[in-house]
Amino acid sequence: MIPRPFDYERPGSVEEAVAVLAAAGGRDAKLIAGGQSLVPMLSLGLARPDVLVDLSRVELDGIEALGGRVRVGATTCHRTLELDPEVRSLLPLAAEAARHVGNPRVRNRGTFGGSLAHADPAAELPVVALAHGGEIVAHGPGGARRIPLGEFFLGYLETALAPDEVLVAAELERLPEGSGVGFHEEAQRADDFALACAAAVVKPDGRARVVVGGVGDRPLRFDGAPGELAAAVESAVEPEEDAFVSAAFRRRLAGVCARRALAQAREDAAA
Amino acid sequence: MSVVRDRPARLVGRALVRHDAVEKVAGRTRYAADFGLPGMLKAALKRADLPHARLLRVDTSAAEAVPGVASILTAKDVPENTVWVDVPGQTFQVGALKARANVLADGVVRYHGEPIAIVAAETEDAALAAVELIDVDYEELAVVTDPRAALEDGAPAVHEEGNLLASWQLHEGDVDAAFGGAHAVVDQSYETQFVDHAYLEPEAGVAWLDSGDVITVRAATQVIEHFRDLARILCVPDNRVRVIAPYVGGGFGGKEDMTVEPFLALVVQRTGRPVRMIWSRSESLLAREKRHPMKLRYRTACDAEGRLVAQDIVIVADGGAYALLSALVLLYATTCAQGPYACPNVRIDARVAYTNHTPASAMRGFGAMQVALGYEGQMDLLAAELGLDPLELRRRNFVERGDTLAVGQRLDTHVALPELADRVEAALGPKPAPSTPERRVGRGVACNLQPYGRCVWLNDWASAWVGFELDGTLVVRIGVPDIGGGQASSLVQVAGEVLGVDPADIVIHIGDSALTPLTGTTTATRQLYMSGNAVLQAAGELREELRPLASELLETEPDDVQFADGGVRSGGRHLPFRDLIGAAAKREVPWHRLSIFRAPGGEAWRSDASWRGRVFPDFTYGCHAVDLEVDSETGHVEVLRYVAAHDVGRAINPQSVEGQIEGAVVMGLGYALSERVVYEDGVNLTGTFAQYLIPTAVEAPEIEPIVVESGEGLGPFSARGIGEPPVGAVAPAVAGALADALGRRLTILPFTPERVAEA
Amino acid sequence: MTLELVVNGRRFREPVEPHVTLLHFLRDKAGATDVKYGCGEGVCGACTVLLDGVAVNACSVLAVQAEGARVETVAGLGENGSLHPLQQELVERGAVQCGFCTPGVVLGSLEAVRLGLAGDRPTIRRSLAGNLCRCTGYGKIVDAVEAYRDRQGHAS
Repeated sequence: MIPRPFDYERPGSVEEAVAVLAAAGGRDAKLIAGGQSLVPMLSLGLARPDVLVDLSRVELDGIEALGGRVRVGATTCHRTLELDPEVRSLLPLAAEAARHVGNPRVRNRGTFGGSLAHADPAAELPVVALAHGGEIVAHGPGGARRIPLGEFFLGYLETALAPDEVLVAAELERLPEGSGVGFHEEAQRADDFALACAAAVVKPDGRARVVVGGVGDRPLRFDGAPGELAAAVESAVEPEEDAFVSAAFRRRLAGVCARRALAQAREDAAA
Repeated sequence: MSVVRDRPARLVGRALVRHDAVEKVAGRTRYAADFGLPGMLKAALKRADLPHARLLRVDTSAAEAVPGVASILTAKDVPENTVWVDVPGQTFQVGALKARANVLADGVVRYHGEPIAIVAAETEDAALAAVELIDVDYEELAVVTDPRAALEDGAPAVHEEGNLLASWQLHEGDVDAAFGGAHAVVDQSYETQFVDHAYLEPEAGVAWLDSGDVITVRAATQVIEHFRDLARILCVPDNRVRVIAPYVGGGFGGKEDMTVEPFLALVVQRTGRPVRMIWSRSESLLAREKRHPMKLRYRTACDAEGRLVAQDIVIVADGGAYALLSALVLLYATTCAQGPYACPNVRIDARVAYTNHTPASAMRGFGAMQVALGYEGQMDLLAAELGLDPLELRRRNFVERGDTLAVGQRLDTHVALPELADRVEAALGPKPAPSTPERRVGRGVACNLQPYGRCVWLNDWASAWVGFELDGTLVVRIGVPDIGGGQASSLVQVAGEVLGVDPADIVIHIGDSALTPLTGTTTATRQLYMSGNAVLQAAGELREELRPLASELLETEPDDVQFADGGVRSGGRHLPFRDLIGAAAKREVPWHRLSIFRAPGGEAWRSDASWRGRVFPDFTYGCHAVDLEVDSETGHVEVLRYVAAHDVGRAINPQSVEGQIEGAVVMGLGYALSERVVYEDGVNLTGTFAQYLIPTAVEAPEIEPIVVESGEGLGPFSARGIGEPPVGAVAPAVAGALADALGRRLTILPFTPERVAEA
Repeated sequence: MTLELVVNGRRFREPVEPHVTLLHFLRDKAGATDVKYGCGEGVCGACTVLLDGVAVNACSVLAVQAEGARVETVAGLGENGSLHPLQQELVERGAVQCGFCTPGVVLGSLEAVRLGLAGDRPTIRRSLAGNLCRCTGYGKIVDAVEAYRDRQGHAS
């Protein structure tokens, strides 16, 4: 019902944050940004860090076009992705997917970097990031490190970030001119966790990409011809069964989400 | 401060703004958790980690060493640890010893989350830290989770006396002979699930020792009469315990049995200090009692015209680990199992079993709603068998005034079912076309009946105090807990109507077992009926007490005196209440009145199959229809439209009536489509509000409530109760619509996307 | 550590431990019991407050994260004891039953209208999806938000 006690640090810069993490030694230190996953987990006793390192005084938000990429600052909130007209033109897929994240108040406070670093396999934004491709920019004791998105998500709530690294931004590949995008999610209830979701990109050269979430321990990427991808997704994914939903049904939904996201993307490309 | 939208000629029948709504919307209402006293302790519970185990050792020493811990109590510290539930006609036949629960687990835990120890500490942090340090050694015991399996020989015993908690048997006519000569027979099983009340306000309360050594508990409850249960637990006289119910953030039956009250009272008794306990949402989902799941088997036969000739019904309910109100819930299920349909031959075998699940008890609909999935499913199946419209088949079978249910209860008041069906049909219009090719549209209808008021042999009564102040304002004192349905504000309307007082000049004091006259529980759709009649009676008697004085002062005949517009009037003369009451005070004419309303009584049902008689005061009837669209690929169901018609006799406040109907429909839709508490071998896996899926504003459809006023009902101004009735017809209407859309009937609730997609 | 913030115009300077949520701080230290605990998971919306003008679930923010912020709760809405027009609509349209979700509904709806996310009934419903209500069935809440939105339209 209420979080258990922990130590708290509020660094003023990325460098300070890295230093605090490094100084934590063997103690369990966790970064907090918007806290929309972490604070409920603290309250439910599902997370019990020794030290909480608060990034709320570190300026890491903002979206910027950098040649062939778009840099999304780590503390850019979901609501900005959802409602900002510039995001809608630069990252239409992120804008579409952000509508499905949590509820309006979660979106007001939750951050893009937080969602990627938390790496919930059912979350929407990791799916979007992987669909774009690009790199995660992390800062550690040795300075900046770039991690290709394809190598970033390692498993359930697990990423390639080291314990003393801070995710500062994601640099997402811009989609070629004339690409179409689509996003489809199936949830039992509005604003709920996805049972399955899919982001699709259809490129002008006719190639397509689909990333599915909620059906494995991390988002899963598939590239190929648009007509074949949904079937490929459905046969490849191996979701886990739980007490609420069977594996077979999640697999079926993964196929449906992929098919519908692709259809949207084709329509978008044609428009 | 009440606002009247249209200046009324009368108050009853008007959509008056509820006085409590103004305070609530401004954030001023002090709910149970919003109250505190200086220096109060914070209490928390250590709950069982396993669904069935012997407690070999409960070691609190490490917990006691936590700084700030004031007291830790286990079963041995509870003066009387057994809570009894007395069910007339059942308790002593099925076994008095079994209708009981423990305040704190004593030797054995029987469900996941059962309270084992209470910790009271200076801070919540200390209390929670101590709870985590209570060391329990368990010896795991075999778990039984299926009520049918629990009733078989050799099943693990939840209680030493056996797993049969209660049973009702009924056989009217000759069912076997009737099946032999039937034109058509349908035979189908149905299953309902565990669901949670999921009121937005988790269980909470504060308690303290007040003057006169009165242990006072201010808690979110539907039943202030639990002061007597608390006195029994504490081994103190009844008059040393007081329960106050502030405005409650939703009840739906979940705050009918005690929640935090005994734990709070025990801490006060032990420490003498004030204490607060607030359950987390996880605790509430984990261990608060649930709605009974029922396994139903219906065999139903009709003649060539579609008239029912026989129903053979078997009900097996899961009562969970302790008895609570299971026997009564099963009684409601039994009485209502035939539905609002006449049938000469009915056999019902109803049993409720103990299992190692969370105890099941009261929830809106109270057994009468689970069986609607069965009796309405049968009507749909018979209609299909005979090629009749589903509503037409129902019309041919509706009970009428003067009919007698199989249990022996004659229906004495108007039965509006034909009119309700007509109104629903007229509102529906053509069935919409699917919005995309992979979608299918279906339409379903369902009717139901639900009692209002308690079983007649409980000899129910309600008392109320109505009186003027010397300045002419009016006060109502009544023990009613207001759980959100407008229980208090409708009484203001009744009193104002009778005495001609503007609601703005009325204050109502509610929910205090020591200071307001007891009026019984806010349960069983009884408050408007019972409290409403008590206030009607008290206000009416007060009016007659004052009438002679008024006639004297107005210099007119008593019969010419009208109570209206804040005073008494005759012809062109008007005397404000201030003047009338001033005169009454000087002349020693009483200007307040305490009255008791008594519901008609009756003889208790003995559990043998030959008993026949009246069970309930009366019923409220309903007819619902739903259009929905199914995505055949994903199983996603979108409710397009919902029409719900009920005869409420007389709508005291039409807006409140609509609110009850709309809220119940959405609760019913959650029951039909998404809500379930999931267990695995007795372990409750539904620990968060993200997992327990009550409908949001998106899933909730636009609802068209149809309020029919037949002018017949047992409540004040001929009102019928409407709190529970609208929840029952929803799931069967959805089942019918899904069958219409999919061509196949789903019979196991809830109809989740997965089940729909695979149908 | 010491936390400084402003709640409904009142300045607070209070010692607070880092693990205390904004919800518990507001209720236990700032007397703002109009902010309700419904789930503690960011799901039900009963603890909605405006944090520097933005609607958040107070259960999902640590009090220390609100350092220096301006917090508004439903009790701070009306002026001179009168109700805000949206509150008035909710009351008159019968959108308040048990009332426990109501403070969150008020603040959530206000933000939706302000952001232009209350254009039609389905959009209002989407904007309200994070405010669970178990009593009303939502229809009368949507009525009230629609009416308030229209009033705003006329006012501007």
